[in-house]
Amino acid sequence: MRLTGVRRFHWARDVEEALSLLDAYHGRGALLAGGVDLGRSARTDLEGLIDIMGIGLSYVREEDGRLRIGTTTTLTEILEHPAARRYLHGALVEVLCRVAVPPLRNMATLGGAVVSAHPWADIPTALVALGAEARWEGEREEHALVEELYRQPFRAVFRRAVLTEIALPPWNGAFAFEKLSRSAGDIALLNAACGVGIQDGKIAWARVAVGATPARAERLTWLEEALQGEAPSDTLWRQVQEEVERRAKVGDDRRASAAWRRSVAGVVVRRAVARAAERAAR
Amino acid sequence: MAVSVAAKARDVVGQNVHKVDGPALVCGKPLFTLDMDVPGALVGKILHSPHAHAMIEAIDTSAAEAIPGVACILHFGNVPRIPHTTAGQGWPEPSPYDTVLFDRKVRYVGDRVAAVAATSEEAADEALRKIRVEYKVLPAVLSVDEALAPGAPVIHDEPDAEGIYDAQRNIAAAVDIPVGDVDRALAESPVTAEATCEIPYLQHTPIEPHCVIAYFDEDGRLVIRTSTQVPFHVRRIVARVLALPMSRIRVVKPRIGGGFGAKQEIILEPVAGALALRTGRPVRIAYTREEEFVASRTRHPMRVTVKLGAGRDGTLRAIDMEALSNTGAYGTHSLTVLSNVGSKTLPLYNKARHLRFHGKAVYTNLPVAGAYRGYGATQGYFALEVAMDILAEKLGLDPLELRQRNHIRVGETSPIFEKIGEGREGKAQIVRSCALPECLRIGAERIGWKRNRGRRRREGPWAYGVGMACAMQGSGITGIDMGAATIVMNEDGSFRLLVGATDLGTGSDTVLAQIAAEALGVSVDKVLVYSSDTDFTPFDVGAYASSTTYVSGLAVLKAAEDVRRQILDVAAAALEEAPEDLELSQGAVRSVRSGRAVTLADVGHRATYVVDQHQIAATASCVAPESPPPFAAFFCEVAVDTETGLVRVERFVAVADCGVAIHPKQAEGQLEGAVVQGIGHALYEEMLFSGRGRCVNPSFFDYKIPSALDVPEVEAILVPSEEPTGPFGAKSIAEVGINGPLPAISNAIYDAVGIRLTRAPFTPERVLSALRSRTG
Repeated sequence: MRLTGVRRFHWARDVEEALSLLDAYHGRGALLAGGVDLGRSARTDLEGLIDIMGIGLSYVREEDGRLRIGTTTTLTEILEHPAARRYLHGALVEVLCRVAVPPLRNMATLGGAVVSAHPWADIPTALVALGAEARWEGEREEHALVEELYRQPFRAVFRRAVLTEIALPPWNGAFAFEKLSRSAGDIALLNAACGVGIQDGKIAWARVAVGATPARAERLTWLEEALQGEAPSDTLWRQVQEEVERRAKVGDDRRASAAWRRSVAGVVVRRAVARAAERAAR
Repeated sequence: MAVSVAAKARDVVGQNVHKVDGPALVCGKPLFTLDMDVPGALVGKILHSPHAHAMIEAIDTSAAEAIPGVACILHFGNVPRIPHTTAGQGWPEPSPYDTVLFDRKVRYVGDRVAAVAATSEEAADEALRKIRVEYKVLPAVLSVDEALAPGAPVIHDEPDAEGIYDAQRNIAAAVDIPVGDVDRALAESPVTAEATCEIPYLQHTPIEPHCVIAYFDEDGRLVIRTSTQVPFHVRRIVARVLALPMSRIRVVKPRIGGGFGAKQEIILEPVAGALALRTGRPVRIAYTREEEFVASRTRHPMRVTVKLGAGRDGTLRAIDMEALSNTGAYGTHSLTVLSNVGSKTLPLYNKARHLRFHGKAVYTNLPVAGAYRGYGATQGYFALEVAMDILAEKLGLDPLELRQRNHIRVGETSPIFEKIGEGREGKAQIVRSCALPECLRIGAERIGWKRNRGRRRREGPWAYGVGMACAMQGSGITGIDMGAATIVMNEDGSFRLLVGATDLGTGSDTVLAQIAAEALGVSVDKVLVYSSDTDFTPFDVGAYASSTTYVSGLAVLKAAEDVRRQILDVAAAALEEAPEDLELSQGAVRSVRSGRAVTLADVGHRATYVVDQHQIAATASCVAPESPPPFAAFFCEVAVDTETGLVRVERFVAVADCGVAIHPKQAEGQLEGAVVQGIGHALYEEMLFSGRGRCVNPSFFDYKIPSALDVPEVEAILVPSEEPTGPFGAKSIAEVGINGPLPAISNAIYDAVGIRLTRAPFTPERVLSALRSRTG
């Protein structure tokens, strides 16, 4: 039996109500969105659950070239939304359709994925690479790049705040996502999201994030810098693979060894960068 | 798909009739064990050992008993000690009596320490937390090699265990069966090949975990409603463990959400029974998924070595097969699974005159292995069929041709049939039906064997290859498995079919109804099936060893033929004609002489109410006369990502001969399901353990089985043969399909990239490591 201490369940009507309810529980309450992670939680200290699916945060919008997604939007809703499908020629869809299995995608929300931030998860890797920005409301409205958020003690932040929106910036280029997992619905043994902009036949900018190493995604800024100004070629991609294999920070867990992760980190980054460059050149 | 042949025209057999339990299942009716609400039932829960090997120095339940709602706590100190086996098998029981309800010693992480019954889940959980147990931790044995090492800790040192082969050396069972002189034949064979293949801990993962409700009926008899494959063995073993007369126990098997062998075990029933007896109240126990992984049963992890010797023409001369089986902490099915490694594999290639099958089943301080679809044959075929692939390469022969030259055929036999049986000697038999040549031909054609093999097709980093394997199994256990059926005619001309046979989701209720309906000349909806309840249905050993269609089906056929005779007698009297002139079909008895007819409703009414009143009914039994093997050929195409080691099964073709398929769609479903399970074995599944013997991945989050997204195109093809000893020509189909995927996929990987994967599962890491070590 899980969450055995829960005594009260609330349907919040707006962000303000969700926040005041959360505040009233002094740490013994939790926000409930899709419930994928909370449902598996073994926490016995929780007394109240505050459902936030009805607080108006299920939306996908295009604004000034940015894609703004409300945090209670489910992965299935995002996958089916025309604006999300259009974003970067399907770069977001390419990631989300590799996350878990359809029944779980019907439950899971984008906000849940960002807040849970499992080190093996695919969405944080993609959002870090894409330079996504998170907005939240606690004592005041705040925002930060997802990448920066993850450098802070973000779990403490979201014990007293509601993550409201993820905004994805426009990019003059293309992205590609690679994931290695055992079965189709499995979590990643390693993943990588890479973006490339091409100008005059040369790489103008690059974004490279590798996750499930087994640690949470980090950008390989040294590689991003090294790629700038280079012309895409098989030789370049081979160098990318070799360098990543040499320099990637990888570790062991029971799913895969550091040695294997090292061997394949170069492969997945090479594949993702090369595919992104190919798309960007189109 | 079924390959059509000019089969005998039958009205019901061979037709894809609606499953008799289909409507209730799809409507979500309360059919399963826990769908029944027994008012006032206590919740039973089990305290599992946190240690792999320990003595319980003291156990203090006072704090737990003081929790409001806690009704009873059982442990070694307050229940009788009765050694038994949890294996639901026939008599005499071939598994050692090395288990007691609660022991002072715990032998694996997950072993039973105590059981609690309480009025709520919460109270039961709290009680589990408050039972104080002092353990003296003993050195643990976490592999077969450690178990066999000199001076290894002895896992079963209790003096009252019976039937253990060599307890002091941790050997639960051992087998050594020589035929001819295998060493000499191997030494003299111009070409030899060898393979050692390993299968890890695998769990059955039935959708419904083990669960049971025990309660008392109005006469104070203990009723056990349980998710089991073996209701009659449950009754026998619970009677032994609880020291109750068997007549005081009734076991009811409702619909079952899958078992695959895990429910051929008597695990929760005696615990629920003991708690009910002690409290006088109903008790329900349901395993969680985690408990299903660690504290139910698993496949026997095994290392099997096969050595083959052949002449230059590819005729096999010798097969030496050695198996080292890990039975875990208890020896349930240890001897019989071990025996099946050889007995279900070696007869397939009967051209080899010199054979030896030898092996040991060894205790370890790890979860308990038991029956699992394939039952040892799966482990044996992995090594045998990989070795055959190696041999074919050495001979420069097409692996398909090597099989064609050596496999058993109609009219042939193998000494193994007689030498290895179910924990004792077997029975000689000849193969009376075998469509394997046709299975091989069709499978090779469907996969494009000639076209695709050895081509090493590449697409970027992906390398493609095809592989194959063959397998057989049995149909029941000769001379041991007994099934019985009762058919009673109702006065409206419908029939009740009462069988002890246990439909665990396989569709056997439908198959048995079809057999009865065919023999009685009615449609399936006129046969009301009831299975299985030890108070109301006749005996049946249960659903295991691929026995139900063959053994229980023969019993149903015999009972139906008896009832048919009785019907003809009544009809003869009514029509004033001789029974020999009458024929029964389409719900009526017709005279071939006069053309006059009476309906079955007329016959039923007449016998019940009118003249010479009596109940038209018959009970018949069948002891498996033989165990005709079903055969199958497996072909698959795989893609290997040479840069990451990832393996994808692109296509799978399984072609099986199960005799006449009584219900072709269900038979195809069995074959297809087994193939998918086998793909899981090959690519994903493995229970992992910490250095202290704790399973670290007991959930579907970590232990992956193929989902719909992973299943490739699977072609399940049935090639009919006519098994003369079977009901309407039928043999089994349930297990044979699990034996092929592991070797076929391993052989396909070899065809694609030239590496031999001999340790399942073929994870990206293992594949990449093999690729790297080959290229240096």
